[in-house]
Amino acid sequence: MTAQGDAANPAAGTGAGATPPASAPDRDIAELEDRWLRAMAELDNVRKRHSRELERQRAAERARVASVWLPVLDNLELALGHASDDPFAEGVRATLDQAVEVLARLGYPRHDATGVPFDPAVHEVVTVQDDPDAPPNAVVRVLRPGYGDLRPAAVAVSRQRE
Amino acid sequence: MATAVGIDLGTTNSAIAVVEGGRPTVIASAEGSRTTPSVVAFTESGERLVGQLAKRQAVLNPRGTIYSAKRFIGRRFEEVDEEVRTVTFDVVDGPNGSVRFKVHDKLYAPEEISAQVLRKLVDDAGKYLGEKVREAVITVPAYFNDSQRQATKDAGKIAGLEVLRIVNEPTAAALAYGLDRKGHETVLVFDLGGGTFDVSLLDVGDGVVEVRSTSGDTHLGGDDFDRRLVDHLADKFKNDTGIDLRNDAQALQRLSEAAEKTKVELSSVTQTQVSLPFITADSSGPKHLTETVTRSTFEQITADLVERCLGPVEQAMADGKVSANDIDEVILVGGSTRIPAVQKLVRRLTGGKDPNMSVNPDEVVALGAAVQAGVLKGEVKDVLLLDVTPLSLGVETRGGVMTRIIERNTTIPARRSEVFSTAEDDQPAVDVVVLQGERERAADNRVLGRFQLTGIRPAPRGEPQVEVIFDIDANGILNVTARDKDTGAEQGITISESSNLDTSEVERMVTDAEANQAQDRRLREAVDARNTLDSIAHQVEKTLSDLGDNAPAHERARAEMLVSETREAVSDEAPVERVRELTDELTQVLNGLMAAQSSAPAPPPGGSSATASDDDDVVDADFDRV
Ligand SMILES: Nc1ncnc2c1ncn2[C@@H]1O[C@H](COP(=O)(O)OP(=O)(O)OP(=O)(O)O)[C@@H](O)[C@H]1O
Ligand SMILES: [Mg+2]
Repeated sequence: MTAQGDAANPAAGTGAGATPPASAPDRDIAELEDRWLRAMAELDNVRKRHSRELERQRAAERARVASVWLPVLDNLELALGHASDDPFAEGVRATLDQAVEVLARLGYPRHDATGVPFDPAVHEVVTVQDDPDAPPNAVVRVLRPGYGDLRPAAVAVSRQRE
Repeated sequence: MATAVGIDLGTTNSAIAVVEGGRPTVIASAEGSRTTPSVVAFTESGERLVGQLAKRQAVLNPRGTIYSAKRFIGRRFEEVDEEVRTVTFDVVDGPNGSVRFKVHDKLYAPEEISAQVLRKLVDDAGKYLGEKVREAVITVPAYFNDSQRQATKDAGKIAGLEVLRIVNEPTAAALAYGLDRKGHETVLVFDLGGGTFDVSLLDVGDGVVEVRSTSGDTHLGGDDFDRRLVDHLADKFKNDTGIDLRNDAQALQRLSEAAEKTKVELSSVTQTQVSLPFITADSSGPKHLTETVTRSTFEQITADLVERCLGPVEQAMADGKVSANDIDEVILVGGSTRIPAVQKLVRRLTGGKDPNMSVNPDEVVALGAAVQAGVLKGEVKDVLLLDVTPLSLGVETRGGVMTRIIERNTTIPARRSEVFSTAEDDQPAVDVVVLQGERERAADNRVLGRFQLTGIRPAPRGEPQVEVIFDIDANGILNVTARDKDTGAEQGITISESSNLDTSEVERMVTDAEANQAQDRRLREAVDARNTLDSIAHQVEKTLSDLGDNAPAHERARAEMLVSETREAVSDEAPVERVRELTDELTQVLNGLMAAQSSAPAPPPGGSSATASDDDDVVDADFDRV
């Protein structure tokens, strides 16, 4: 404690002894204060950026983990397409529903509706079909369901009429 | 200060980067991906889509979806005959022989399309940065002529940007590696992306980068490798089943995705499994595609694609009058340079030189553009250069190990503290040994200084709290203070030579630590295990004395026997297995004793005393008794 006080004194003494540029130490202080404030502000900004980045990384990692399970779900669903309506298949179907529910709860709801207008936010066109019964630009078939932001639904869309 | 960005405006995909905190980083799009497809679509309903969304509707709207605008920008209609034939939209002759895209009876200049892509990139970046982006450095291939460069600049203007500079892609790559700051060098930049291949030879050094020669193949890239795999898998499947998957949109979609994934995997493993169950079905039932693809098979079916890279490299070297021996550095750019066969070819052509690929090859151009933007804005000028601690700093603790307080590479000035305690009952003083280094054993590190804190009031071990504070100022001067929280007494030392090690000494110490990592970890585990065992033995003894005659005789006998075995094991430095075994047994005994204690009528014991030592951040220090 005392050592600090001693160290400060000679500095103050020389500053006061010099006559004209009394403003020089003031300028130094102002500059140092400015630098200090900038450093504190930068620290604060880094902290904010870091917490935003953390949020983003968390979302990205969750999406990455969820995505690698999608092919498993797809294949289970394709398999069920070949099953008959026995109690065994029913049980497996319930399991699939459960998995779809899990994804929805994680924030990736399933998109598999047909008859809706094509929307690039949730659909990706894989093929175009002539379908006289459907309005143009409507989803006529879902080739592979979509899940939230993980993956758009791969769809067949009715042709636009020229 | 407004932020300036760097943009890699690509044929297939584009990327944007910014210098943040002195380092360039790529900014992800609003959809969360690090690149944005260079695609713009005009829908029937008059909507305009850019990037991922435009790409998703391309099949539905082939004539209204513009891609590869970069192949047309700044060129004359008569020059683009070839390109016109490969795209699905209409390309027409515009004013003064220029190129125009015709969509729904409206004409668009290529620079207007590129402007849309740029707009989307800077808008997304603005959202990330929390401020509007107004200035940018944009990259173009080294072979672009004046008119192509001017048109790219105009695209920036249309997008509302001030284009600080148009920079060559290979130059940006060299900047990302900081090669311009080194001495004079000849650099080969090998860029194999999704659909284009470029080779450039650069003269680099003393802050200047000049292009000596360029060559390439405007229609060669990773997509070609994907198609080979699709055909390979589809042909095999057709042989086995008679069904051509390429005629089934759903199957082809899955197959194409699987092909790219397989290709990417084969860059890091030598074989992988393609598994597409229920890919199709016929009257006999469902069909599955399961196929093992080895790297050598992949290399066979793509050998000619890799060979096609050879000609342009030789051409560039001939044009630049450079032989393999003259090349000082090789930089790999573009995602497809991750393919091992491609890397092998590059090594072969450059006399076995190890290429630079530590910067992500599909981001290096955008990163280099951001560096250039940062330099032009003087962003790097005003940064205060902050020092770091070259080696970790800490104190010696029980068992002769080093406990780190300031990790190496911590930016200074810095202040860190930790609370320690005594290792013995009624210990009146602690020795603080200040260490520097990366090894676990205290004796393997450098002793910077030592001092003693005396006058600790008599107390059971683990109870006194001694705060040890490490404070390094901006000049690297280290102040270590130990303070008894109970009495407020403190003692300290100032060490000025903590930072004046030469780099070779620092390197030696770091390499030593790396070389001995496994051994050091085992040592640390052993010491930690012994310390744990010792604490439990201590608690057992304490509980026994608290219980007095209330301790069941057989439990007492067993406990005393185990405690004496423990003392022996600790002083003999018994192997970890033995220590863990004793720890388990003693823990059981302790639990038994504590059960007896809580049912005994004796003075109510502190049930928490068993866990007190783990409760907070108090570390038992190896403070020798004086
Ligand atoms: N690990 C990998 N192994 C092999 N290929 C890879 C790997 N990672 C990415 N690729 C391929 O790299 C290509 C994309 O590279 P990049 O992003 O550099 O291209 P681009 O800039 O979009 O294309 P261009 O420069 O031709 O316009 C894709 O074909 C992708 O499959
Ligand atoms: Mg590219």
